[in-house]
Amino acid sequence: MPNAVALKVLVVDDQNSVRQMTRMTLEQIGIRYIHEAENGVRAMEIASLQPLDLIISDFNMPEMDGLGLLRAVRGHPAVRKVPFILLTGRGDRELVVKAAQAGVNNYLVKPFTAAILREKVEQVMGKLS
Amino acid sequence: MTSLDQLKVTFFDECSEALQQIEAGLTDIRQGHSSDDTINAVFRAVHSVKGGAGIFGFEALVEFAHVFETVLDGVRRGSLTATPETIDVMLAASDVLSDLVQMSRSGEFITPDFGGENRAALEQIIRSDQTGGGAAGGENSPAPAEFEGLDFKPVPVDGFEFTQVPVDDDSATAGADMMRSYTITFRPNADMLKKANEPLYIIRELRKLGELDLIAETDSLPSLAVLEPDRPYIGWTGTLQTSASRAQIDEIFEFVVGDCDLEIVETTPASAVADTVDVDRMAAPVAPTASAATPPPPPKVETAAPPVRSNEASEPAGANRSPVAKPAATTTRIELERIDRVVNMVGELVIAQAMLGQIVQDLPEGTSGRLSQILDEVIHHTRELKDSVMSMRAQPVGAVFQRMPRLVRELATKTGKKVRLEMTGETTEVDRSIIERLGDPLTHIIRNSVDHGIEAPADRLAAGKGEEGTVRLAAEHRGGRIVIEVIDDGAGINSERVLKKAREKGLASPDAALSEDEINNLIMLPGFSTAETISDISGRGVGMDVVRSNIQEIGGRISLKSERGRGMTIQLALPLTLAVMDGMVIKVGRETYVMPLSAIVECLRPARSDINNLVGTCGMLKLRGDLVPLANLSDLLDISSTAADSSESVVIIVDAGEGSRFGLVVDELCGHQQVVIKSIEESYGSVPGIAAATILGNGRVAFILDIEKLSELTVTAPAGVSRQRNAA
Repeated sequence: MPNAVALKVLVVDDQNSVRQMTRMTLEQIGIRYIHEAENGVRAMEIASLQPLDLIISDFNMPEMDGLGLLRAVRGHPAVRKVPFILLTGRGDRELVVKAAQAGVNNYLVKPFTAAILREKVEQVMGKLS
Repeated sequence: MTSLDQLKVTFFDECSEALQQIEAGLTDIRQGHSSDDTINAVFRAVHSVKGGAGIFGFEALVEFAHVFETVLDGVRRGSLTATPETIDVMLAASDVLSDLVQMSRSGEFITPDFGGENRAALEQIIRSDQTGGGAAGGENSPAPAEFEGLDFKPVPVDGFEFTQVPVDDDSATAGADMMRSYTITFRPNADMLKKANEPLYIIRELRKLGELDLIAETDSLPSLAVLEPDRPYIGWTGTLQTSASRAQIDEIFEFVVGDCDLEIVETTPASAVADTVDVDRMAAPVAPTASAATPPPPPKVETAAPPVRSNEASEPAGANRSPVAKPAATTTRIELERIDRVVNMVGELVIAQAMLGQIVQDLPEGTSGRLSQILDEVIHHTRELKDSVMSMRAQPVGAVFQRMPRLVRELATKTGKKVRLEMTGETTEVDRSIIERLGDPLTHIIRNSVDHGIEAPADRLAAGKGEEGTVRLAAEHRGGRIVIEVIDDGAGINSERVLKKAREKGLASPDAALSEDEINNLIMLPGFSTAETISDISGRGVGMDVVRSNIQEIGGRISLKSERGRGMTIQLALPLTLAVMDGMVIKVGRETYVMPLSAIVECLRPARSDINNLVGTCGMLKLRGDLVPLANLSDLLDISSTAADSSESVVIIVDAGEGSRFGLVVDELCGHQQVVIKSIEESYGSVPGIAAATILGNGRVAFILDIEKLSELTVTAPAGVSRQRNAA
């Protein structure tokens, strides 16, 4: 039963507004340590230097999309086992399938409420205290 | 403004940018000069607007953007053709989108049929999509958060059910080192430095194991006035990400464990706990089987082929792993010659900079303020440059040392002896050219120790020693040189036998009276070997003489000391390998010399009362309760001093190695600077007391002093000359 306050989460999205919204929502469910990255490369930098408990990433980003990031994470020895939740748009089933094959832990459809976020996170990490 | 409002502002800013991109992109496409990327960029822009709008609840914007996005998706996938008409519709759509953004921003009411005409046109285009694009199907009604019919099972990270499928099964990373992270807290005790433990090396060693992230703790750091230079004050806390074992980390702290507060805690994040199944061919990845639209490729193999959407610019073509910047340390191979050239250039730079410094110093007062400021900066940068370049060539001596334990074990077994090898100072760095040439001589010396030095267990017991002999291999920087010692606690050299053998071979005259030391050193003469049987270990005639010439070839010195029955010490002193070093310029009489800054402990101008004149010495200096023997540099080098009496002289306390200190009396301190070391051994051979030469800023040549040799000379040099001066 992980303690929400102790979790370290990385949020990856090229849109600042979305990052901030995600941050706010994460804070609503009690998470405090939130790193941000605006693209996959920056995300990998952070991921390989900071201990992370969870990565939440948008799919739709220039240069390296969320799926690319997922694959990069799964391929990097230091971070390959970090749980990864992919943000997808409505109706993108193909993406979910691909992500599943690449090793994603869960997906979230934008927009999401705090309740849904919590549910998705708990599905992966266990009940948050 | 609430933070939500602030975010909305941010969002609308993003929308402005996105809208510009959309229009520009579509225009390019319309005019025929666009790339694959353009359509993707436009798609992403619309998608972003839609996503953000959804978050902030601008439904009308979301709905419209969704339809727009669908068309764009079709075009980029190739299932829709971008005819001029289509593009015109899209251009109109971008106008509608822009209006919707504006209205959402200002909060005005949006009629349900706003942009309806354009929307209808878009929908018509969608209907013409040949592949019946999955995204379009029934998506105009708000879709549930879960995908219906999709058998997606969230993958929890519980220890037992760790079923992630790694991307690349046959890569080097699979089945390998598990990365762990450790939090290390380190606080040195007051005497750590006195016990010759250097915290810096620990940090360097840790860095070699992985990524180290440190925060220094400076709370114990006192003010400069009370700071003691030989006490460590700074502790640190850090995280280390490494695949090394805990044992390896502990090893780094081996020598300091008693002298510090140390805490190493493994803090690998919960997700990495699964040390059980390292997931090579994991079963059941969570690929849904029900979805008919895209038959999933076989679950065990990563989708190697590019995905259906060949236009997806974001997917690296066919690559299993995205070519992302791997932040782990990368290395590259460089020809040594190139590095040497850079080293030389840096050397020349230092000389030029010194000359520049001289000129600036000689300028009239007041003109040079800014200039000397900048020059200081240049000096600072050059120093850093030098350090970087030097570090390229430097390697830890451990590279050579690490072969030794095995060597000793094998030898011990062969000879039936019990020997233990202790090594210290493996991290001492030495120029790589030295490393390469050190292996053979060192091997030979250690072989000798085991073969001839250490006695058989029975003999050792008979002599009152422990059964197991010890050979100690140590390296350290001392007085500006690198000193490597091999110390064994064996039987030492049998000087009678050596003398006898030497006489037999004509290497020593029958009536020469040689001191024990001199006899012992005979073994380094060519052709000498006292092995009764030619053991295949040490060979015949290939003895210490070869070792000595090897060492001399790299500009070093070898000396040995033996104590009958107690053991032998062989010391290798290797030259200053750094082509550039920090030196203190000093004057004695009319001569200028340079001393390696690393050898200097402190400088002072003592009062007469602090100096005790003892018979047979140049004086002893009272220094904080200790008596330090003094030596006049003028005596040692046989030049005349101009100082009238000792109170005008400067005393430089130097570290002569082996814990001995003495005070070198000179006339003047001229400041310190970086100097380029130019070797003179080729031309002049070895001159006692002089290590090398350099060119000072004023263009003159100055000799660099060899402090260790000087300290030896203090024993033999006549103390008479200057003392007369003192007495006067």
